[in-house]
Amino acid sequence: MDRRSSVNTSVTHHTTHRRSKSYGRTFDATSRFCYTPGQLTITRIPTSREAAKAHKITEKVDPEQVALLVKNEWKLSYVTPLYQFRYTLLNVYAKHLSAFLVAEKQQGTAVEVGLETGFKVTFSTVLGMAETKDDAETVFIQIHSKPVFASAGDTPRVVWSGWLTCINGDPEYLQSLPPEFVSLPLFCTSGTESLTFLVKLWFERTFDCSFGSLSLDPNDLQWLAALWTGCHSDNNIRSLKLAWTLPAQPPLDVSLTVNGQDAWDLWEKVRPGDRADDSVSIEEVKCFITGIESHFFRHFKIHLSAGVLKKVSTALGSVHLDGKIKITCSDYMITVMTLLTECAILKMPTI
Amino acid sequence: MLKPFRKVPVLNTASLLLVENEEQLQTRLADIIVQNEKDVNITVRLARKLPLPEENQDSRPRIDLIVFIVNLRSERSLQSAEQSVKYLDPGFFLGKVCFVVTGARCLSGSSNRLLTARKLAASLHCPLLFAEDQTNEGVITVAVRLLGILKVAAGLVPLATGLYLNSLSHCMIPSDLEQNLD
Repeated sequence: MDRRSSVNTSVTHHTTHRRSKSYGRTFDATSRFCYTPGQLTITRIPTSREAAKAHKITEKVDPEQVALLVKNEWKLSYVTPLYQFRYTLLNVYAKHLSAFLVAEKQQGTAVEVGLETGFKVTFSTVLGMAETKDDAETVFIQIHSKPVFASAGDTPRVVWSGWLTCINGDPEYLQSLPPEFVSLPLFCTSGTESLTFLVKLWFERTFDCSFGSLSLDPNDLQWLAALWTGCHSDNNIRSLKLAWTLPAQPPLDVSLTVNGQDAWDLWEKVRPGDRADDSVSIEEVKCFITGIESHFFRHFKIHLSAGVLKKVSTALGSVHLDGKIKITCSDYMITVMTLLTECAILKMPTI
Repeated sequence: MLKPFRKVPVLNTASLLLVENEEQLQTRLADIIVQNEKDVNITVRLARKLPLPEENQDSRPRIDLIVFIVNLRSERSLQSAEQSVKYLDPGFFLGKVCFVVTGARCLSGSSNRLLTARKLAASLHCPLLFAEDQTNEGVITVAVRLLGILKVAAGLVPLATGLYLNSLSHCMIPSDLEQNLD
């Protein structure tokens, strides 16, 4: 029986081979080392990924919508599956959400749904982002509001936007969900904290889901650094900036900027020759990062591996350990989103 | 290269070597271990990494137990332990080496490291202990456990040898995890 994780098979799948001794049926959303009573669920974290290929996403998705996604820095959270979320009722949801927001702002007074209110909410689907047949379509939410001292003709400006998405989600997990549930595990928000909180509250009440903040792993940041560097040949990354925090007294912040071409040379040396398949394995990523760290050590005698990698940024995008991501080049959005969807599914608490 | 049986044991003494890259838990553990034991003479020696310096070779007593302390919050800690392990004579791994892991609670990035540490301990057939180093009670707990293992390894407990205890308590990776990870 093939026990190795068959990751570099097809373009859109990377299966995580799971072994579980469980009593009864579980859809064990994979967690890294999960010992729950009665079952031993151990999963294999993918050790190999597709190299980031330039997917011209604008072919499949409306370029205006892509522009909206690329503009902001998004704060990430994970969402458990939504119960009875219907794509046909998006307008109804929009009205309800705007009434809810207004009601929360003016606690105590009754608000009628549908009247002209201070907030205008739009729900829309971003068609074309789903990669596999199990992925649900991405939902994009925007909240517009008129500024306080606005004249009649002013257009409302966007004060908050967010999107729920699932790209290349784990097919075993998605297929194991009961049919009334829609799974959009990744929630990206940009806007004020209070509005984010209210939107999450509304979702939790309407669809019986729960949110949690998605803080990333240094491993994920390393993956992204390697994947973005690998794209240098197609799309100039200009420079690879890495930021570490070292546990000294007081804590030492180290920020290293590597020239794009040098980073790419190092990456090419790490990858053995010409590969028939486009997969990137975790050993190569670790080798790449170790190369950078040992170079730093040689010059400054500081072991960067004693610290925590906090932020990675290139011209193609930037990611922060607290769960903030910004994608500036839409070509590689699918790969980045795949990684983040996977993180979201892994982070979600299992039943 | 440290050899386990090069020196002659001394009556009623036991000697412990704590190897830790960060030097945080070592000193506290050493204090508690020495204070807790009144019947036996315990010597605790501290090191950051192996190999130990040559000049102390003669004055150093016979080491009964070597404990590698790995802090899972930093990658460097694990790397240093992996490199130090190479400087031990194979005779040590029959009950005279133990791994202590701290910081396993915080999952940020440490799950991979925990796995690596477990694989290291399992491949060397050594016990792996988890320690809570942030609280006093946690440090005392792990000190008491290490003291127990030390006394067995030094031969001070009748009818128990280091090898016997090792075969009961060495780190194992469950078979399905091993199959998945080969």
